[in-house]
Amino acid sequence: MEYSFEQHRITGGIGADDEYWRGLERGVFQLPRCSGCGRWTWPAHYRCGQCGSWDTEWVAVEPQGTVFSWTRSWYAFDRVIERKDDLPYVTLVTEIPAAGGTRIMGMLQGDEAGLRIGAPVRGTIHPPCAKSKWYASICWELVR
Amino acid sequence: MSKFRGHTAIVGIGQTPYYKRGTSPDPELKLALRAIVTACEDAAIDPRDIDGFVSYASERSDAPKLMSALGTRQVRLAALSWFHGGGIPGALNLAASAIIAGQAEVVAVYRSLAERMGQRLRVNVAQSDTSPQYLVNGIESPVQILALRAQRLMEADGVPRSALRAATQASYYHARNNPRAMGRHMLVDDQAYDHSRMIAEPYRLFDCSRENDGACAVLVVSAERARRTPKTPAYILSVPMGTMAGGGALEENWRPYYSTAGHKELADRMWAESGYAPHDVDVAQVYMNNNAMGIGSLVDHGFCTLENAGEFLAFENLIAPDGKLPINTSGGDLAEGFIHGMGLLPEAVRQIRGESTNQVPGAKLSLMTGGPGDWLSSTCLLGAEETL
Repeated sequence: MEYSFEQHRITGGIGADDEYWRGLERGVFQLPRCSGCGRWTWPAHYRCGQCGSWDTEWVAVEPQGTVFSWTRSWYAFDRVIERKDDLPYVTLVTEIPAAGGTRIMGMLQGDEAGLRIGAPVRGTIHPPCAKSKWYASICWELVR
Repeated sequence: MSKFRGHTAIVGIGQTPYYKRGTSPDPELKLALRAIVTACEDAAIDPRDIDGFVSYASERSDAPKLMSALGTRQVRLAALSWFHGGGIPGALNLAASAIIAGQAEVVAVYRSLAERMGQRLRVNVAQSDTSPQYLVNGIESPVQILALRAQRLMEADGVPRSALRAATQASYYHARNNPRAMGRHMLVDDQAYDHSRMIAEPYRLFDCSRENDGACAVLVVSAERARRTPKTPAYILSVPMGTMAGGGALEENWRPYYSTAGHKELADRMWAESGYAPHDVDVAQVYMNNNAMGIGSLVDHGFCTLENAGEFLAFENLIAPDGKLPINTSGGDLAEGFIHGMGLLPEAVRQIRGESTNQVPGAKLSLMTGGPGDWLSSTCLLGAEETL
């Protein structure tokens, strides 16, 4: 399978999370845990600093969690100008209890009423598009 | 006793005028030269004697580009302190360590920025190293990333909006007396603050630092040499750099989370090395890329707690000459201008010299905090001779 994000690669950060983006493009929300000690490691890395293992297992996880933090952007910043027409938009940091409290970012979609830290959310996977820089992405919706 | 404490000092400070971003008549390299030569004049040191060059973040005016214009006799130290604004006291650490170890004698620590030479500062700051987690999800600017932290600080930790407003108003109050300050004519009363436009919630415009063109430099020498320079030396008591376990490039996965500033461990080391405590500090220049992060830094340094931050961060407490802890007495990053935070350091020195336009009478211990919430950061305690 040819992946969209590989043709539009963003090079910043640690860069060990290709499997996360591949998973999303295949419609699977998967997160990394250490094959040696079972510790959830995010962002993904090349070696487990706790047990020394170089191996990672990618585990499919239900995209459910709670809002850890959020911001509503009102300004069209240069490097995310693709979202200009959506202003103001909300980005969440979501904590995933089933993955050891791993915190994953994503856009908030749907009704924003009741947005607060601790609110439960459920994620849906969206295919690559210009707004998400041709990466597949997860969007969160407040659970009512 | 620390091998570090009080063995070096800042003896020269230099700042160019500040310009609105993109309007500097001079390119970055010339700005850097101006600031460094001004610092040399201030210290009565020949620019040719500078043998060390230290900066931080994405500085482009490096030693090889500067040396022929300074008449440099020998470069013995040239280094960058990772990462962003967290690197400023860290740059002093490199300078002082090299001097103490006999690897350099006169070290310039500086930062120069001119937008027309590069990009918007916020892009320059990010150094094309923003991960897809952020960019895919509509987040690119430091202000948006820091907004996530501020949301925690306010909503989860309970620090009130009034604390942010007070930090802003104290900065603008001090800017009025500083001819260099970009915000000196701006009145930020409650109405102006409360109605300023939203940038990235919870941050309004007046919660944010500026983006300016300009350059700042300081000169560091040994304590022995400092006593032969004309101005009152600002001795470097402690300038630890680093981060805690559970910190680093973790995309909002820090444990504990940087809803404050990730400065707790650094501050603890600074108090231990210097032998001083928060109540000893006379004046503080607090890095405020955004005000809530600076408030987090004050919490981490032990000036207040999350519980009483709202009470402590009251306007009267934060202003010179009589506040409990006057902060950002030049106007700081919010109201003087933002050369990637570097303007805070010369002001921390001026307070020890008695030369600030908002002088705290008899200031002897002067704090400058590095970029809060940075993956690596640093913090700085300067002292007058009496504090050694």
